[in-house]
Amino acid sequence: MDKESVRIEFTVNNKEVALDIPADATALHVLREMLSLTGTKEGCGIGECGACTIVVDGKAVNSCLMLGAQLDGRMVTTVEGLATESGLHPLQEKFMEGHAVQCGFCTPGLLMSSHALLEEKENPTRAEIEKAIAGNICRCTGYQQVITSIETAVSERLDGENR
Amino acid sequence: MEQQFRVVGNSVPRSCSKAKVTGEIKFAADIKLDNSLVLKTKRSDQPHALIRSINVEKALAVEGVRSVFTARDIPGKNLLGIINKDQPLLAEDRVRSLADAVALVVADTEEAAERGAAAVEVEYQELEAVFDPVEALKEGAVQVHEKGNLLSCRKVVKGDVEAAFTSAYSVIEKEYTTSSIEHNYIEPDAGAGYVDENGCLVIYASTQNPHYDHKEVVGLLGVADDEVRIIQATTGGGFGSKLDLNVQGFIGLALYHLKCPVRYVYSREEAYLATAKRHPFVIRVKTATDKDGRFIALQMRAVCNTGAYGSYGMAVASRSAVHATGPYAIENVDVDVKCVYTNQTFCGAMRGFGAPQMALAHESQMDLHAQALGLDPLAIRRINGLRAGQTSATGQLLTASVGFQDCLDAVAPYYEDAKENWLSAPTDPFKRRGIGIGGMWYGIGNTGVQNPSTARVEMSPEGKVTVFTGCADIGQGSTTILAQITAEVLGLGHDDITMVVGDTGCTTNAGATSASRQTYISGNAVKDGAEKLANVLLTEAVDRLRAPKNSLHFVDGHVAVSIAPEIRVSVAKLAKRIHDKGGTLSWQGFFDPETVPLDPETGEGVPYATYAYACHMAQVEVDVLTGEVDVKRIVAAHDVGHALHPGNVVGQICGGVAMGVGFALMEEFEPGKTESMKDYHVPTVSDVPEVVPIIIESPEPSGPFGAKGVGEPALIPTAPAIINGISSALNKRIYDLPANLERVIEASIQAGHFRVQE
Amino acid sequence: MSKIAYIKPDSVGDAIEILADKGSSAAIIAGGTDVMVDLRSGEITPEYLVDISRLEELKGIRMENDELVIGAGVTLSEIYNSDLLAEYAPALKKSAYNFASAQIRNIATIGGNVAHCSPCGDTIPPLVIHEAEVLLSGKDGQKRIPIEQVATGPYRSFLEPHELITAFVLKPRKAAFADFKKIGRRKDLAISRLSMAVMIDKSDDGTISFMRFSLGACTPTPHRMIPVEEFMVGKKPTEKLLFEGGRLLAESMIEITGRRPSIIYKEPAVQGLFVRMLHPVVN
Ligand SMILES: Cc1cc2nc3c(=O)[nH]c(=O)nc-3n(C[C@H](O)[C@H](O)[C@H](O)COP(=O)(O)OP(=O)(O)OC[C@H]3O[C@@H](n4cnc5c(N)ncnc54)[C@H](O)[C@@H]3O)c2cc1C
Ligand code: FES
Ligand code: FES
Repeated sequence: MDKESVRIEFTVNNKEVALDIPADATALHVLREMLSLTGTKEGCGIGECGACTIVVDGKAVNSCLMLGAQLDGRMVTTVEGLATESGLHPLQEKFMEGHAVQCGFCTPGLLMSSHALLEEKENPTRAEIEKAIAGNICRCTGYQQVITSIETAVSERLDGENR
Repeated sequence: MEQQFRVVGNSVPRSCSKAKVTGEIKFAADIKLDNSLVLKTKRSDQPHALIRSINVEKALAVEGVRSVFTARDIPGKNLLGIINKDQPLLAEDRVRSLADAVALVVADTEEAAERGAAAVEVEYQELEAVFDPVEALKEGAVQVHEKGNLLSCRKVVKGDVEAAFTSAYSVIEKEYTTSSIEHNYIEPDAGAGYVDENGCLVIYASTQNPHYDHKEVVGLLGVADDEVRIIQATTGGGFGSKLDLNVQGFIGLALYHLKCPVRYVYSREEAYLATAKRHPFVIRVKTATDKDGRFIALQMRAVCNTGAYGSYGMAVASRSAVHATGPYAIENVDVDVKCVYTNQTFCGAMRGFGAPQMALAHESQMDLHAQALGLDPLAIRRINGLRAGQTSATGQLLTASVGFQDCLDAVAPYYEDAKENWLSAPTDPFKRRGIGIGGMWYGIGNTGVQNPSTARVEMSPEGKVTVFTGCADIGQGSTTILAQITAEVLGLGHDDITMVVGDTGCTTNAGATSASRQTYISGNAVKDGAEKLANVLLTEAVDRLRAPKNSLHFVDGHVAVSIAPEIRVSVAKLAKRIHDKGGTLSWQGFFDPETVPLDPETGEGVPYATYAYACHMAQVEVDVLTGEVDVKRIVAAHDVGHALHPGNVVGQICGGVAMGVGFALMEEFEPGKTESMKDYHVPTVSDVPEVVPIIIESPEPSGPFGAKGVGEPALIPTAPAIINGISSALNKRIYDLPANLERVIEASIQAGHFRVQE
Repeated sequence: MSKIAYIKPDSVGDAIEILADKGSSAAIIAGGTDVMVDLRSGEITPEYLVDISRLEELKGIRMENDELVIGAGVTLSEIYNSDLLAEYAPALKKSAYNFASAQIRNIATIGGNVAHCSPCGDTIPPLVIHEAEVLLSGKDGQKRIPIEQVATGPYRSFLEPHELITAFVLKPRKAAFADFKKIGRRKDLAISRLSMAVMIDKSDDGTISFMRFSLGACTPTPHRMIPVEEFMVGKKPTEKLLFEGGRLLAESMIEITGRRPSIIYKEPAVQGLFVRMLHPVVN
């Protein structure tokens, strides 16, 4: 017997989409396989690695632990939606400059977790940064250059505002 | 005078980093080929059994299943392995571990493939299995392979240990064990393939060695070299496990029979089940010193468990035997490392190839002797640490770039400061602090065997440079460094160089991305090619500028006269002239480090052309009530020869430390039990300490611009430093890894710390 | 073959009707952080997923008639950020701090944590020390049961398939000392190997006048450790007393579980964590 399908409508990276999805599809599957937004990665499928992190209504979540059906009516941002017409997101720039990217498989997830943090907090402490990315496993960098890159993005944003 | 460099030594932006931060880059699982079929393997559910029959009828009846292949469908040679060929792609008459693949299902969708695999019926005749390598060596043990359970044995013998033990001031004998480790790269293995218009099977794969993959797939299918092309997809980490063939053979087999696009993406669960692990070791070691703390003898008997297949097991045994002494000069050595088959999940290469396991032993022994003699841990390492002019246990004279003492010196001020200010600072009554030192050396490249690299450096008549290299960048940044090296030679910017990487259709073999060899070996190969190209350009410039060759140099896309740089000619112009004259602008580079094979009985020889050295200091705080360990800081000094890209070096050091923390405290793969990432603990950001990376540059004369390697060295000293830190905090040593909650609390109780402190 | 349908009820009443209709072929999904993992591993094979994650009736943390009411749909992030909980149930708030990861805390609910009946659920010991009652709605109406009765064994629930947890009702208390601690295999993103929650008040003479204590992850179902509370109350907390209390705790645990292999660690560790957690109340 076929899977039941569900109609969902939501906003992803500022674009409205409407589609029919299998009822048991994960949000990750919907993004990667049905919308070809392959920037979001699957590293474990069970919430243990953070590679699939996306931002839903301003909050970082594991898209592997969310049903696609639960995306209905939501505002979703994926790594593809971070850059704007005017250029890369500051976090993306700092990750590049700060050598926070090695193999890059964890990078989209780390970017989305830190993006959600920076949207929520003006000037997060180092401890808050660590807390925000503790659900993102990176096997390459040892995190140090990731943390400094996030810190630089924060401090440059503050400098920009104070100028 | 110090040589001046323009490009190498700078942390230029890494290749592909923009596409990585935007999410545009395509890893293998992201490659979408139209109408692609999906693969799934039926794996053994027996650790050891004869296959009575395989029935694929029910699987074929599953809706959406296209084909099911078994060993019989393999047209070529069904035996894989980089060093010794003992692993079938699909099991023939028997399975030797739970990971063994028995049948390959091709279907329209993931679900159909999964259902198909579940529907394959295999009738087994169960055999007794052996899991313990020591048991496996005993007479009468179950035989995993026909030729016996001993895969290989590496001996290193020098001097007379027995005599030294008799005359020694202090002799200490201990046993150490380490656990099996899962690489846990974050990208599960994946690949995709199609048949191109010429009938060539094109396979994109997440891999550390596309040219090896090519050879294996060609052999497996019994086809000609040009009928298979492997393209390395962007690879999300490897750490050794993506050196073995994972999905490539399955994709090749399906393409061969079906001629239509296929993809295979391992779930994390399958990656855990089916890919190589780090060899667990049992190490018995006896060492002796004189009264001044000089090590005079080391005897070691070690057994490592390679599981059902050899993979890199022989290399692990070899390297660990050579590295048994650590970075110390010891006159009398007797080492015997055996690599043994069992019915566990197979073990292969993992960052360090046995050297991290050895480091636990030699660094623990160092501290034990220091304690016995009342010496400071740093001091005893200074006494014994290798220096240029000394000879290793294999009889190799170390002539240059021996930076171990420099590493010790670099850590010393942090060590003194930590002892003075941190150790004695008031803390929680139930927490105890300790400082631990860990040293290491690491031979760059494969052990006592040829391991060449090649590369092609090409200039277009317009002066544009392209480097073709088979060297797989798996995230460590080799592509960036090879571009830097080329640019340095040719007076260009790193971004003037176009890099074509890891495509057997157009690159030549650069060997494996392993053994920390790519900067040193492929770096030299690329440099060789670039220098050959530079030479023809200079020759042409002599003609143009009317100045002798040795008065010319490359600068900003020009060749200029060194003392009068305004006299110059653009490289593009020179290229055009050479081209027009019918000269060649395409040069093949080659490098193979000078090694001498090791004597099978004594290990005598030159295993590596050069070694990296390092010293880590760990500051740890142990909760004596719960067994929790908090690593506060790691100071990590690494002699890398010359850091061609300091940002990358720091990245390797920090990443290595994180992996070392996991190895020391929490990681343990238990075949049959560890099924997914919920069962296996890789350090999170909260587990990883502050790292103080210190780069020591003791230039290697044979290295490209003095460089050696750092990828594996970064991890090796961390665990022993942490273990030594815990031991000094508790006054009680832990001999088995990981030093998890259970082991630490036990040590705390035994040492009498678990009690009222008031 | 597997057929899964997705149903999103508009109200608790609606949900109960659906659940009553589908019986055990339906699974409730809230945050999904357990359900999705169990679906993937094949641990559960429901035909219907009933999504309650957006039911407003299950949200909110509030004081009602001197009772602290926490909706079953409240997420761990909301728990961590709640000022009301900081005041009246600080141990519960603390249990959210090292709970999984930020991503999971953003969707995982307290209702799911309790209903999953994992012995390792981190919110359970804090709920136990606040003598929480669980509000159930089912086809027969509403029920109020003690938190300790929800699990009948590891991953085994007292709830009928048609029943839904709507809220938890806690006895609020501004205790002088309250804490939650857990030990995992790593510092974050770790399931508890053991956990505990405590509230303590002291009299003017420094003796313990009130104590609530619960142990997590060690026994098949959650327990208030009353013998330990009784032992401690009326005494002046000294280090020695903490070791004795911890010893008693370990013994009480072993009485429940018997000597399993994991006890080798847990026996000293519960004692150790007890001492560590209560050490601040010494003097
Ligand atoms: C990586 C990872 C880390 C984790 N770490 C922790 C941790 O540190 N501590 C911890 O305690 N847990 C942890 N968990 C487990 C899980 O996150 C929690 O149990 C969580 O609180 C479950 O809530 P949920 O809303 O996601 O539940 P769901 O997954 O939606 O549901 C869980 C169960 O409860 C049932 N259910 C849900 N809501 C109700 C309701 N209102 N009434 C009746 N039944 C209901 C469901 O049918 C299901 O059986 C972790 C999980 C993962 C994947
Ligand atoms: S894939 Fe979702 S957390 Fe790993
Ligand atoms: S960069 Fe490779 S996992 Fe993070």
